[in-house]
Amino acid sequence: MKLMNLLMLIVLSIPVLFMSGCNKEPNGNEPEDTGKIKFEFSHYVDGQPLDTDTLKYVNASGNHYLVTEIQYFISDVTLHAHDGSKKVIDDWKDIHYVDTDLEETWLWDVYDEIPAGLYNSISFTVGINEQKNQSLMFVDHPESLMFWPEYLGGGYHYMKLNGKWMDPEQELLPFDFHLGIGQIYDNEGHVTGFIQNYFEVTLPGSSFTINKGEVVHIPIIMNVENWFKNPHTYDHNTWGGDIMQHQDAMHLGCDNGHNVFSVGDIE
Amino acid sequence: MTTDNRQLIMNCYRLLLLILVIFLAGCTKNDEPEPVPPHQTTPYEIEIPFGFPKNLNIPDDNPMTVEGVELGRYLFYDGRMSGRSDPDSLMSCATCHLQEKSFECGIDHPVYEGGHPHGVTGIPTPHLMLPLINLVWNHNGYLWNGFVNKDNPNPLCRNIEALTYMGIIAPHEMNSDTNAAKDLIQNTPGYPELFEKAFGTKEVNIDRMGKAISQFIRTLISTNSRFDRYMRGEVQLTPSELNGFVLFTTEEGADCFHCHGGFGNPLFTTHLFYNNGKDTIFTDSRDRYAVTGDPADKGAYKASTLRNIELTGPYMHDGRFATLDDVIDFYSHHILNSVNIDPLMHHVANGGTQLTDLEKADLKAFIQSLRDDSFLTNPAFSRPDHFPDEN
Repeated sequence: MKLMNLLMLIVLSIPVLFMSGCNKEPNGNEPEDTGKIKFEFSHYVDGQPLDTDTLKYVNASGNHYLVTEIQYFISDVTLHAHDGSKKVIDDWKDIHYVDTDLEETWLWDVYDEIPAGLYNSISFTVGINEQKNQSLMFVDHPESLMFWPEYLGGGYHYMKLNGKWMDPEQELLPFDFHLGIGQIYDNEGHVTGFIQNYFEVTLPGSSFTINKGEVVHIPIIMNVENWFKNPHTYDHNTWGGDIMQHQDAMHLGCDNGHNVFSVGDIE
Repeated sequence: MTTDNRQLIMNCYRLLLLILVIFLAGCTKNDEPEPVPPHQTTPYEIEIPFGFPKNLNIPDDNPMTVEGVELGRYLFYDGRMSGRSDPDSLMSCATCHLQEKSFECGIDHPVYEGGHPHGVTGIPTPHLMLPLINLVWNHNGYLWNGFVNKDNPNPLCRNIEALTYMGIIAPHEMNSDTNAAKDLIQNTPGYPELFEKAFGTKEVNIDRMGKAISQFIRTLISTNSRFDRYMRGEVQLTPSELNGFVLFTTEEGADCFHCHGGFGNPLFTTHLFYNNGKDTIFTDSRDRYAVTGDPADKGAYKASTLRNIELTGPYMHDGRFATLDDVIDFYSHHILNSVNIDPLMHHVANGGTQLTDLEKADLKAFIQSLRDDSFLTNPAFSRPDHFPDEN
């Protein structure tokens, strides 16, 4: 009878062995209650979707302007849970590149498993923080095309916003509203130091709930006109076509950047 | 032990064996028999130096092999690719794309006066040629307007492979037909065996010819200029070159880097398309607008790489500038504004970057540090000592 019992035990263990061999949890624990999120990036001017290469916008300074393209990094996206804990998006990647010319960059299907629950807000860094912003960390296009020259501080542009504005002589002139590491110059024009201009924004009205197994879509909107609006009124006639070597102008832009991003209807 | 018990133990062993078989079969399901490769090839490995892109433009249906590259090198240099055997009408890729000129023809070409190439019948090419250098890293289209690109509705016009048949049939190039080229290569002793080594068949066709030549072109890599060695800490640049490098990579200087790269983009091109302010009226039917249909792209052309640029004059898509000095002068003082000028050309407000003579000299010195002599003399890229039928 003992042998019969042994035989029965072996027969009953077949399915268990079969299933556990193919689907074993890495740590042997039950999976956590998690969901997924997807960020969708869009770009608006004065409440309407961005219409590139069209001279139809007027900024807070009264400059008539057009936008050709916007390219930027956001990083260290953080979900602030109702219980005070934080979930930083960094399991697969922690820096996302967005390019108005490249549709494939408008959606970030986040790899991380997001613990189910109520989240009060979302925050992120515009650009890349000092520790992470290292030259040659991106070697492939299109991210590598964002490199910020070594002489100017190295690493990568936080943002390129390229367009044109109508100057007082009614000439349409290019502007490159580029943000990145600023420089300090001596009286002879030599660089003597650098200023980190990256900044963190918290999206107003970005609370959401995620349930186990659910995918939450989070639209992130760049309201382009706000780069030139609040708290500083930015005038292209004052700052001209290029600002990478003008810390005062980049400082205004970064200050205004706190009010640029908003969140759409989270579903 | 009784016979019954012995039998029971044997059954247990059989059952355990069955369990093992089921377990293994369940985890490594493989109903299909392993395909037997039709022929053996040797993978061609591309070494990627530090700082260069990892993402290579190698199509899935044309992997790099030693055998394919070898065949492609013969075809690249063989004038019978024109489908003709008369010595006066031979033409190959290498007729125009000279290694010593960074696989461009150069301004001092003995036949193409002033560096303006023409086809076998004398018809000039619509644009100047672009050099064949580091194209394995180009994902943004080929030719000055990017007509050959991955999104082209015509599957025959999506990558380097297309340039072979286009070169054969174009009136301003070989002015031939692909059947004539195919037949001539097929009937040239030695080639069928090379095709068999590369592709597993002795049958020559235009598809395989294009694939082999493309594989060879993808090996044409330059990563060893003085600037590259400076980046690797092996040499020091001169004070003039260093000042030129600063000018190259600053907006208040020469402002070249947004379109032509630098430390963070050692290809020295973005492979993108820009209207750089040469004109105010745009009538060229082969500009970027011809490809995209976007009016903003009128007068826009690919930013060419600056590697070995001192050897590839004349400059711009139409060769309007004979020397590097002319180009630097243009960007310094003669940029023209139009509704189509690229926003990156913000110095147009002053007509250009306004470099001084000393700054121009320093900028030129830096650009010349991008010359890669090891690329220009690499024997692996050179004309073969003999062709397959010349043993």
